[in-house]
Amino acid sequence: MLARLDDVTKLYGRNEGLRDFTIAFPKGEVVGVLGLNGSGKSTMLKLLAGLLFPTSGRVTVFDGPPRTNRARIGYLGENDALYAWMMPKDAERFMAGLYDDFDSIRYRELLDVLEVPRRKTKAMSKGERGRLRLAMAMARDVKLYLLDEPLAGIDLLSREKILTSLVREWHTDETIFLSTHEVAEAESLFDRVLFLRQGRLALDANAEALRAEGKSVVATFREVLS
Amino acid sequence: MKAFTTLLWLEYRRSWVWGTALIGSLAFWAWGLNQVNVRDIGEQLGIRAGLLGIAAALGGLVLCFMIGRIRSETRQGQYQILLLTPPAGYVHVAARYVFALAVAVLYFVGIGGLAWWIVAQTGLSLDAGTVAQLVLVCPFYGIGGILIPLLSWTLLLMIFVSAYRISGSGWIPGTVMILGSPLVIRWYSDWLIHISYTLPGWRLFEGVRTLIASTSWGAEVDTSGVTALVVPQEPLWGMLLLALVMLVIAGRIWQEVEG
Repeated sequence: MLARLDDVTKLYGRNEGLRDFTIAFPKGEVVGVLGLNGSGKSTMLKLLAGLLFPTSGRVTVFDGPPRTNRARIGYLGENDALYAWMMPKDAERFMAGLYDDFDSIRYRELLDVLEVPRRKTKAMSKGERGRLRLAMAMARDVKLYLLDEPLAGIDLLSREKILTSLVREWHTDETIFLSTHEVAEAESLFDRVLFLRQGRLALDANAEALRAEGKSVVATFREVLS
Repeated sequence: MKAFTTLLWLEYRRSWVWGTALIGSLAFWAWGLNQVNVRDIGEQLGIRAGLLGIAAALGGLVLCFMIGRIRSETRQGQYQILLLTPPAGYVHVAARYVFALAVAVLYFVGIGGLAWWIVAQTGLSLDAGTVAQLVLVCPFYGIGGILIPLLSWTLLLMIFVSAYRISGSGWIPGTVMILGSPLVIRWYSDWLIHISYTLPGWRLFEGVRTLIASTSWGAEVDTSGVTALVVPQEPLWGMLLLALVMLVIAGRIWQEVEG
């Protein structure tokens, strides 16, 4: 297994992030992490990234604690936290200097595919910054990508570019976790879909099986979470 | 090493405006020193030395603000894109510290240079050894004994506070550290004073009295109080050790927070 959560509970004071969460993920899946606001999507991805410790239970990634394997995890957080002065070439220097697995050629290709302008991030739109962040994350050669809301607040055309590049860049030995509210646009990407509700796993479904039953992910989302 | 140089570059990109402004302010201080127009040599030197003291104190303050800019690094309690980067917290702290130290060295050697300049303006021609003591040894003693531990303390304080910001209680460690540090420093400095001169002191400015006597105004000045300065080694080593301990703790906290 690439990653697993065993009986994981994460509390924020009195608030529940996740509750009694047990699940395992093999290699080579695109996993959609879906749910309403506050359902625990970001908490789950942060636990897998090692950014949070579980209150109880155990999180394992690459057969060890996430923190010890952080160099092997590509994480794209929900916050837009790029430096205002940073240009794409600065981002390249930053990533290449800190991540041994960063592929500069792939990064430049991604910048072209995603049509990221070569200017400072403070002069970029939210969509352009989102595309730059995605290029930075996806240019790393890792087996596990955790993408937390990469489509949030981004215009339709940028979302299409991001999703297209995700399809293009995905390799069968890589696992991508994609949390998003843009279910309809992203559903064709998913091999597996997790529906989270109030910190609990409401449904763990195979996307292909859903489609075979004549159900779309969007319809299932409405059915399970409404 | 690649990670360290990258983080150093990042620090430069983040803080070059601060560093440039600080070093550029030496031109302002030079202008200010030049405006002092007092006939009495002793009084003139005193006023100018006072101005240099103010420049040094303000410089130290600016450097503390520069190295302590952790808050601008965080969003919602998390560090910016440094988040999850593989280098250890110690490397992050070291890069931030080395950049601030480099700026500090340039600035305080500049202050030493200005001190030499104001001395030279009195007609006192210093020999190379005394110039080196004034421009290099004094600034480095001050940096090592005061600034280095002060910067370490500031960095530790801000990282300590930031570590708890995610839970919204950063003010608690901040208050504890600010209130507790004077007590610790007092105890530590008392101990350093107690052990001072256990090792041989460093003798500075031994020939100044003779140099003053050789000037045109030397006969008018009472040089009986001008003696060689003997500075103890122990406070310097003690403060450097304290700074190192604080940096290690800061790196460890960063490691824990950023993971």
